[in-house]
Amino acid sequence: MFKAEPFRSIDLVEKLGYAAGYARNFLSQATRQGLLIAEPRKGRKEKTFRANPSVVKEIVLRGGKDKEELLEALRLHSRYPGEYVALRGFTVVDHDLDLYRLGERVLPDMEGEDEIVITNVGIPKKAITIEI
Amino acid sequence: MDIGKCWDFKDDEQPPYPTIEVTLLSPDRKTTISPKVDTGFNGSLGIGKETVRRLRLSPRGTILVRTATGHSEVPVYVVGLSQPDLALKYTTLAIGTERSLVGRRLLENKTWLLDCRERRFCIITRPGPKQGFGEVLKPT
Repeated sequence: MFKAEPFRSIDLVEKLGYAAGYARNFLSQATRQGLLIAEPRKGRKEKTFRANPSVVKEIVLRGGKDKEELLEALRLHSRYPGEYVALRGFTVVDHDLDLYRLGERVLPDMEGEDEIVITNVGIPKKAITIEI
Repeated sequence: MDIGKCWDFKDDEQPPYPTIEVTLLSPDRKTTISPKVDTGFNGSLGIGKETVRRLRLSPRGTILVRTATGHSEVPVYVVGLSQPDLALKYTTLAIGTERSLVGRRLLENKTWLLDCRERRFCIITRPGPKQGFGEVLKPT
């Protein structure tokens, strides 16, 4: 819902209708699990939270239903149906119908940093086929 | 037509199958393997678990591939590939497969000889003239 944008406990209460106590517990548990990053707000006691971008890589590598749900939550199915995407955290760095063409463009960046991951969005229109 | 480098078929299964020797590189490891030439694979390179382990590769993504029985999700790796006889040396994406495979993308734009009698797979270095149905061949 908030993607990479920071949000407060009150935002969760207002958007999802959670009770304030439940929202606080949820946020503190998600932060402990490394799913969220808590950051103090300048001059205020209240913290803001944002989704940990390294979770994206973890979920993409895990694959399966979790990956599909993540890509759906990022609305990639409607923007890049049947394509391959390179993601850095929540950001689409590049996309292409052809896996190798995408690879040629993003490989220089991938060699230098560990955070970029490549995945398919839905059934690839130009699928890799293996007969054996 | 000149025949260049040839690679012997592997006969650890029947019938024997064509292979090409390639050297794969990770940031701190190097290994030379002879993957099966699989013309049913439209990608470039598939690397088996043993090679992934030897090169200490970490997956850099996952993609859905189409197999004979449906779809399957496989890891994606970044690997250096070198094959001096084919003048190949580049970094590419490879997918994780049960066994190491070389696909059509690596073979394309070259002329090959699949010699099942001599059990060898060869690169043709100087292909003969193109011959079509409409051409009249002059006697030599």
